[in-house]
Amino acid sequence: MILTAILALAGGATLAPAPQSITIATDVLYTGAGEARENMLVTITDGKISAIGPGRPAGEDSLHVAAITAGMVDLSSRINSGTTSVEETHEVTPQYRVADSLDFYDQSWARQLRHGVTTVVSSPFDNNCIGGLSVALKTGGEPTIEARQVKADVALRGAFGSQPSSKNHPAFGRPTDFYSRRPTTRMGVEWIWRKAFYDALYAEGNEDRAFDGVEQLVAALNGEVPVFAQAWATQDIRTAVYLKEEMAGEGKPNMRLIIDCGAEAWRELDFLVRTKTSVVLPPFPADGRTGDGAFFAGDAAAKLHEAGVPIALSSHNSMLTGGFLGDQAAYARRGGLSFDAALAAVTITPARMIGIADRVGTIEVGKDGDLALWNGTPFELSSKVVGVVLDGELVIDPR
Amino acid sequence: MRSKAMWPARMGLAIAVFVPLAGQVVGSTPLSQDEAESTPDVYMVRAERLVVRPGQVRENASVLVRDGRIVQVGGADLALPEGATEVRGAVVCASYIDPWSALGVDSGALADTNLVGSARTADGLDLYTGDHLRDEALRAGVTLARLQAGWQGQIGGLGAVVRLDPQLDVAEEAVVTDSADLAMSIGLSVDQGSQFVQGPDGSFRIISGDRAIDVFDRVSAVDKVVSNLETGRAYRKSQLEYEHKFAEWQKAIEKKTEELEKDFKKAKKDRDKDVEKAKEKGKEHKDKSYKEDRKPKQPKPDPDKAVLAQVAEGELPLVIELHRAGEIRNLLDATKDFSRVRMILAGATEAGPMAGELASRGIPVIVWPSLRGTNAADEFQGSDLSLAATLRDAGVNVLLGSGGRDATASRDLPLLAELAIGHGLSRDDAFHALTLGAARAFGVADRVGTIELGKDADLLVLDGMPLESGSHIQYVFCGGRLAVSPN
Amino acid sequence: MMLSALLVAMAATLPGDLEGPQPVDSTGTPVEAKAIAPARATVFKAAKIYVGDGTVIENGSIVVQDGVITQVGAKVETPKGATVVEHDGAISPGLIALHSNEGAGGELLDSTREVMPEAEARHAFAPHHSDYRRARQAGITSLVLAPSSANLIGGQSAVVKTAGGKVVKPSAHLAVSVSSDALNFNRFPTSYAGAMKELNDRFSEPEGAVARAVSGALPVLVDVNDRAEIGRALGFVKKFQLKGALYGSYWAEDLAEPIKESGMAVIATPFDVGDGERQMRSIVALQKVGVRIGFGLDAPARHPHSLRLGAAMCVRAGMPADAARKALTGDAAIIAGIPGRIGRLARGLDADIVLWSGDPVALSSAVEGVYIDGKHVFGGEK
Repeated sequence: MILTAILALAGGATLAPAPQSITIATDVLYTGAGEARENMLVTITDGKISAIGPGRPAGEDSLHVAAITAGMVDLSSRINSGTTSVEETHEVTPQYRVADSLDFYDQSWARQLRHGVTTVVSSPFDNNCIGGLSVALKTGGEPTIEARQVKADVALRGAFGSQPSSKNHPAFGRPTDFYSRRPTTRMGVEWIWRKAFYDALYAEGNEDRAFDGVEQLVAALNGEVPVFAQAWATQDIRTAVYLKEEMAGEGKPNMRLIIDCGAEAWRELDFLVRTKTSVVLPPFPADGRTGDGAFFAGDAAAKLHEAGVPIALSSHNSMLTGGFLGDQAAYARRGGLSFDAALAAVTITPARMIGIADRVGTIEVGKDGDLALWNGTPFELSSKVVGVVLDGELVIDPR
Repeated sequence: MRSKAMWPARMGLAIAVFVPLAGQVVGSTPLSQDEAESTPDVYMVRAERLVVRPGQVRENASVLVRDGRIVQVGGADLALPEGATEVRGAVVCASYIDPWSALGVDSGALADTNLVGSARTADGLDLYTGDHLRDEALRAGVTLARLQAGWQGQIGGLGAVVRLDPQLDVAEEAVVTDSADLAMSIGLSVDQGSQFVQGPDGSFRIISGDRAIDVFDRVSAVDKVVSNLETGRAYRKSQLEYEHKFAEWQKAIEKKTEELEKDFKKAKKDRDKDVEKAKEKGKEHKDKSYKEDRKPKQPKPDPDKAVLAQVAEGELPLVIELHRAGEIRNLLDATKDFSRVRMILAGATEAGPMAGELASRGIPVIVWPSLRGTNAADEFQGSDLSLAATLRDAGVNVLLGSGGRDATASRDLPLLAELAIGHGLSRDDAFHALTLGAARAFGVADRVGTIELGKDADLLVLDGMPLESGSHIQYVFCGGRLAVSPN
Repeated sequence: MMLSALLVAMAATLPGDLEGPQPVDSTGTPVEAKAIAPARATVFKAAKIYVGDGTVIENGSIVVQDGVITQVGAKVETPKGATVVEHDGAISPGLIALHSNEGAGGELLDSTREVMPEAEARHAFAPHHSDYRRARQAGITSLVLAPSSANLIGGQSAVVKTAGGKVVKPSAHLAVSVSSDALNFNRFPTSYAGAMKELNDRFSEPEGAVARAVSGALPVLVDVNDRAEIGRALGFVKKFQLKGALYGSYWAEDLAEPIKESGMAVIATPFDVGDGERQMRSIVALQKVGVRIGFGLDAPARHPHSLRLGAAMCVRAGMPADAARKALTGDAAIIAGIPGRIGRLARGLDADIVLWSGDPVALSSAVEGVYIDGKHVFGGEK
């Protein structure tokens, strides 16, 4: 018996009691962990994938779709409470958690869920050089952080480029407030980052030099938590990677770097490969230009993938038709990315980047029951997500 | 003319609907379009007590409503016609009128400070948004409202009395009268909002909040009212003079034409001779001009002045919003010579000391029992909840309104009335203010305000007397349509 | 369990047990309760006496002596020489406004420090300010002076009487704000992330007043605006096992069950004419599910009659009238932390009494007499 549960789109409603088990038949199953297979059944029990095997739909009324992929993962979801998610009193605030500022009644979560995105990473708004700790969470369920969180503190978020300095101003010519400070230029931004890392280096193991946030910076230096930095343009990507190399030279070779919004990463292929840097790509813009004037080539994803740079796609909480994560995969395909690479870029690769691949990203027994159900081959303009399973509950019913 | 879409088709069978007489029903619901169209438009309303007009109660009465009107009023034994729906209640009375409301005025029109006298609020209605607000007002018993655009301006244009029925989305159906009054205001500070602007040196400043209003502005505002009235008077005078002259001229033309026709032949011969003569001399012949040809000049028609003329002559009421004692004093003194003007004051927060004069001059006051805190007191003392009682005790015709600024406030008019009652106004006076008083002041008493034959069917059915704390409204008839029924 | 008003005459000269701390004046000096007239009692009679706990006594009497209620019931023993006040109308306990700023000007907001747990609102108590007169005239006999919600931890609220200068409870709640009011654009915190971390740090290693809150000795008064903030507040309260009340009720009906589970009371923000139905429905839904409700005022920005306006609007939206009356009196006293002193007409409690022309939650009822600690402070009665 399959119960239908419809998630209240305005948020806040409790779901109907979870069914014991649900089985969905599909013409093509894309597990993300091997070849695509035809005529398959996927069973989810108590929220986890329990069985995958060949089979046909049970009857007229049973769940049967054209294709199934794992629920998609968006690392750059941009769902946060805007400027109230970043503590601007200082430019370096690694100790603050964006999880404390999330609004679960925001329609954005449900919107992403409707379009097949089941796990997202929420990060502090990028007004600070180092804004704080990101969190990975599901896009549906009880409206509390405890119920939705997949993993806390998955990355240390920060930004290069022009955004962190945009609100600051020099201390002359107008009333001073705490925005009368550096940085006001890219050089200043880099200076702030480097100072934060060096302060952490000196403070490591030295109680007298401790300061608020030192723990998180040290963890980042040691590679325990990846640095997830926004860098749109070439110069910013290079700045970030140079910093990483510099820290390696200072005895911290394990620092991990994920570039967010790496629109011009396609211009720095060798550099990124050499430093083992991962890249999250922003949504494809209509005219090629993205943040900080960066030029996002149509084949950027294909080029990066071919060079061996781990890539993930993102949608920045787009509400436009044709802007959602599944559509981003379609644009990447159009630019030459293979189907399997595109699928990986919206599922298992982002999950691996932040260390939640044990739970999400592919359809394998034991992983979370998060599925995107399609009415055709995924990532084509003619197909769309018609159903979604989240933690074993059919939250959008394709029938 | 009522459109077919609005008035539902009659049912073939009589349907009797019995209302629990003592039940305290909380939360009546407005009917949907479909429900409305399937219910008949003929109702027999039976009341244990019928409040015909303020102070006049009739026991065990019946009211027959058809096609939007009250077509029969009788006793309990009035026969139920075929196709009629019966509605029973403990108390039936006229529904409430908010004589100072903003519910249904387009927000841009409401905020406009540059209106002219002939601007019609009826042209600035927004009947498409805020349906839920009109529903709420109906549920609270308020079915009619006088609406005024441009309340912050020195002139607000012509107010309209409108039916607050969300089913009415065409102005012709909703508007009861499109020239209920002309509005003016004295001493209102206009909230222009704050602006954060960058100066030439790059620094930022916050500009303004309210338009500065000082004593001199207010005095000149009173002068403006007077000069407007004088303009109106002068315009009317010049119109009358023109009409008189025109009539005289017409007479003169007739007379002269008669004269000339008598001697037509002779006149023609004379003229031909003149033409010949002129030709010989090589000159142009100029026709004889008669002084009667000079038509009297019509004064340039000016719709704004025409409205002011109506006000000056007392044909249209003049509603003036003002609050401070000084302004009220100035206004009363300055308008002593305009005895025909039918002034109505709105607000008049500090009018207490002048209550006697207001009473003797027959100037009604629309009181707004508002709950402004002292922080929002502007420069005057803030709200005075006992104002209605003070004025009424002195003999002033007191009306109660919801302030004309906030569309959502009309729903709370009965609560404001209760506040006024709690501060000394009698219940009967409050009920009068909300029904007949408001209707009379704005010239619609021939259509609404009491339960009498031929009037529009705007009725409330309650389980207790209106404006009493334990009473609940169960049914509301708005223009003969059953707009609200119990859950 | 509170005693109902059916007590039979007891020794009229003995005041009952007084719960709560010794009353102090605004400087903190203990104040002895002054007797109105030594050994002279007053008896109030009325057709309807609303006790404040939901019960009503028809044609009952209240005996007051030395500022304290000594008897309440349908039948009482009238002490010799007592003054009798026969009131044609209803009597209720004085109304209690649970969040207000009477006479305080800007003194309840220190804009230099966002965390000041030791700051006490009672130092902003100016008992002779005209705001208190206006409050009395609206039937309000006690109110909670609360630090502004613009600070993360604004200080400690105080319960004061609106006449007589008494601070009934100098430290009633610790005012905490998790709402956007506490966020600034030019000083810490600018974000919820910063705010929640600071609060977490402070409550994890608590000192002083915060330690008293964590131990349960001092209830918290948590300012919230929307559902997300209520959610965060409930998480915070649960984590540190705090008691107290939420101030703010917009959209709270979606969270009625979690609020009930948390044990927190809810103080409604003041209502105004024209406010959307949703607000009222929230309060009605909360009350229905069993959450304890009270009303806030925020005078002088709001008119004191807004307290009863809110109650009347909730009644219009479906709240039972006796629940509304309780929210203004008996339940409000529980939320304020001194149910043994104020909020009900019961033996041993302060004689804070209001004479009305009708039902207190009907806006058409007039305040005809107000007594605080047995002393006549407003109205036509002697």
